[in-house]
Amino acid sequence: MIILFAVIITGMMSAQQIRDELIEKIKADLTAQARIIALLSKGEIEKQIFSLADISRSRVTLIGASGWVLADSEREVIKMDNHLNRSEVQEARIKGQGEAIRYSRTLGVDMLYVAFTIRENSEIGGYIRLARPLYDVKKSIDQLYSHIFQNVLIVVISSVLIALLFSRKIMAPIEKVEQFTQKVCRGELPGTLLVESNDEIGRLAKNINCMVEEHRERMRSVYEEKGKLESAFASMTEGVLVLDGQDRIELINSGLKNILIDEYTTDIIGKTPLEAFRNVELEDALERFREPRTTVFEEIAFGEENPIILDVTISAVHGLPEGEEKTMMVFHDVTRLKRLEKMREDFVANVTHEIKTPLTAIIGFIDTLQGGALDEKETAKKFLQIISENAHRLSRLVDDLITLSRIELGEMKLQFEGVSVAEIIGNALPVFEAKAADKSLTMDTHIPDGLPLIHADRDKVVQIIVNILDNAVKFTPDGGKISVSASEDGRGYVVIEVSDTGMGIPKSEIPRLGERFYRMDKTRSRDLGGTGLGLSIVKHLLKAHQGSMEIESQVGSGTTISLYFPIYRVI
Amino acid sequence: MAEKKHTSSHYEKELRDIREGLLYLGALVEKAIEQAIKSLLERDTELAHKVICDDDTIDQRDVEIEEKCIRILALRQPTARDLRFITTAIKINGHLERIGDMAAKIAEKAVILNEEPPMKPYIDIPRMAEVARGMIKESLDALVNKDTDLAQKVRMDDEIIDSLNEQVFRELLTFMLEDPKKIHRSLIIMQVSKSLERISDHAVGIADMVVYMVTGKMVRHEPICKSGE
Repeated sequence: MIILFAVIITGMMSAQQIRDELIEKIKADLTAQARIIALLSKGEIEKQIFSLADISRSRVTLIGASGWVLADSEREVIKMDNHLNRSEVQEARIKGQGEAIRYSRTLGVDMLYVAFTIRENSEIGGYIRLARPLYDVKKSIDQLYSHIFQNVLIVVISSVLIALLFSRKIMAPIEKVEQFTQKVCRGELPGTLLVESNDEIGRLAKNINCMVEEHRERMRSVYEEKGKLESAFASMTEGVLVLDGQDRIELINSGLKNILIDEYTTDIIGKTPLEAFRNVELEDALERFREPRTTVFEEIAFGEENPIILDVTISAVHGLPEGEEKTMMVFHDVTRLKRLEKMREDFVANVTHEIKTPLTAIIGFIDTLQGGALDEKETAKKFLQIISENAHRLSRLVDDLITLSRIELGEMKLQFEGVSVAEIIGNALPVFEAKAADKSLTMDTHIPDGLPLIHADRDKVVQIIVNILDNAVKFTPDGGKISVSASEDGRGYVVIEVSDTGMGIPKSEIPRLGERFYRMDKTRSRDLGGTGLGLSIVKHLLKAHQGSMEIESQVGSGTTISLYFPIYRVI
Repeated sequence: MAEKKHTSSHYEKELRDIREGLLYLGALVEKAIEQAIKSLLERDTELAHKVICDDDTIDQRDVEIEEKCIRILALRQPTARDLRFITTAIKINGHLERIGDMAAKIAEKAVILNEEPPMKPYIDIPRMAEVARGMIKESLDALVNKDTDLAQKVRMDDEIIDSLNEQVFRELLTFMLEDPKKIHRSLIIMQVSKSLERISDHAVGIADMVVYMVTGKMVRHEPICKSGE
C-alpha cells in the first residue's frame, strides 16, 4: 500500500513537472514567434495571417487596439467578440506581453495563448495573439500516467503475489497450530502437531506438543486414579456418603444402598442427611463433627423394629480448593456383630443361670439334710431324690455343652456310612412309647419302602432324631398326635418330617430357635427338664452332615420340623 | 429448599436452619413415639422414664425454632414463598411439640400400667401406633419433598386411626363390664388410645400446612369424606 501510494505521488509530481516544462517550452516557442510577428505591421500580418499560422504551427489572431479581432487564422472575424478583456490581452496591454492557459470550448482542449502588443509609433496599435492547443502536453502526460499506472499495477500484482507466497509459508503453520490448540481447548487430545520448520513457529509447535503430551500423561494418571477409587468406592461393603459444602448429599455408593433399605436411599442426592434419613443420632454426630471439623465416630441405629446398627465415621475431605468443604461419612454395618455379641452375652448369662439353678437346689437340700433332716428317713429320701435329679440335670447340661463345643471346634469325628432311615426311626420310636402313652399321644409313622440310605454317622442321626422326637412329645399337649414321615426331595436329600399338634412357635421366634439356651417360653420348658441346648445340638450336627433343618409352625395348631440328610452314594 | 437463591446468604442460612430444626424435631418426636409405644408393649419402665425426660429436649427445640421464626419475621420481613414457609414452620413446630407431649403422656401411662399385671396382649394399640407414626413420617416426608399427594394420604390415614380408636374403646368397654378390677387399667389404655388419636390429628395438621406451603391453599377444614359424617 505504502509503495503504491509513493509511486502514485511521485508519478503525479513528476507529471506536473513535465507538464510545466512542456508548457514552458511551448510558451517560449510561441513567445519567440509572436515577438517576430509583432515586428510586422498590422496590414502585413492581416495579409500573411494564414502563412504565419502555418509557419508558427499555431492559431494566429490579430486584435485591434480597441479589442476587436481584425483577423484570425481559423475563425471568421465577424463571429468573434471583443477580445480586450481576455486575460492575455489585458496582460499584454499593461506589460507588452501576456499569456494564459484556457480551456477552449471549440476544440475541447487546453489552449496556451500568448499575446504581444504591436507598437505603432510607441502607441499600442493592436495585439498579436498566438494560440496552440496543448495536445502534446496532454498526450505526454496521459502517456506518463498510463506508464505509472502500468508500473503500479505490476508492482501491486507482484507484491500481492509475493505477499501471498510469504503469508502462505508463515500462516499455514500458524493456522495448523490454531486448529490444534482449538481441539485441545475443546478437551480432545489430538495426536502430535506436525510443523516442519526450525523457526519460532516450529519451536512453538514443539512446545505445544510437549504440553499436550504432559497433559495427556496427567489425564491418564488422573483417570487411572479415578478409576481405582471408583471401583473401590463401588465394591466396598462399607457405605459411603459425601456431603458438599452446604451439607447436601452429593454422592452415595452402592455399599450404602445395600446396607439401607430403598426407602432411605432413593432420590436422596441434593438432600441434607436430615431430610433424607431424619435420624436423630446421625444428626447429633454430624453436629459434633461440624464445629471443629475433626473426625467423629459414632454408633447409630437405623429403622424402628429390627434396627440396623451402623458404625459411622464422619471426616472432612482433604485436598479441596481453598474455601470448599466436603464431608465424608463412612458407614459400617455392625448389626450382625452386635447380634453375635448379644448372643454371647446371653449365652454366658444363660450358662451361669442354668448351672446355678440345679446347684442351688443341691446345696440347699444338702444343707437341710445336714441340719437334721437326715434323721427323718422319709424326708431324707425325698430330698436325696431331688438332689439326684438336679445332679443328673447338671450332668446332662455339661454333657450337652461338651458335645456342642466339640462339634463347633470340629473335634468330633463322624463315622459316615450308609444309614437306613427306617431302621433308625424304628429303633428310636419305642423309647418314647412309654412317655407318649402317659400323655395319650398318637404316634404315626409313614416311611416308604425303598428309600435310599443316607450319608451319615449312625449314632449322631439317632441323637438328632431322639432330640426332635423328645421335643415333639414334650411340647404336644395330652391327646395330641405326632407323625413321622420320610421321603426323597429329588435334589439329593432325604427329608425326615416330624409333625406335632403342639402349641406351635410364633414366626418371629423361629430364626432364634437354634440359639443356645434359647427358650420360647422361659418358665415352661425348664419344668419339662430341657437344657435349652437340644435344638442347638441338632442344628450343629446337621451342619456337620451337610444337611439342614426347616421349621414350619402355626401358633396353636402345631409344628413341622423337616430334617434334610444327603443321600448316601457308593463311590 | 430454595429453587431460587436469596441474595443474602445469611437469610438463606437462617431459613435453612429453621427447616433443618423442624426436621430434627420431627426425628426426635418420631423416636419418642416409637420408644413410648415400645415401653408400653415391652413393659419397659426405664425406657418410659427416658421418653418422659427426653420431652424436655423437644420442648427446648420447639422454643428455639419459634424464636428463630419470629426473628426472621421481625428482621427480614419475608414475603410470598418465604412468608408461607415461616408461618408453616411455626404451626408445624407447634404440632410437633404437642406430639412430643403425647408421647410423654403415653410413656407416663406405660409406667402406671407396668405396675399392674398385664390385662391382655395389645393388638389394636400397636397397630394404631404404627399408623400414627407412619403418618408423622409421611407428613414430614411431604414437607421435605413438597409432596401434596403424600400430604393428602396422611389425611386419609386419619380415618384408620379414628376407627381403630373406636374399636379399642368398644373392646375396653366390654372388659370393664366383665370385670370391675380391669376398669382402672382399661381407662388408662383408653387414654393411650386417645393420645394416639390426637397424634394422628396433629400429623394431619402438619400435612395440611404442607399443602398450604406448597399451594397457598388452606385445606384445613375441608371435609375429608364426601358423605360429610
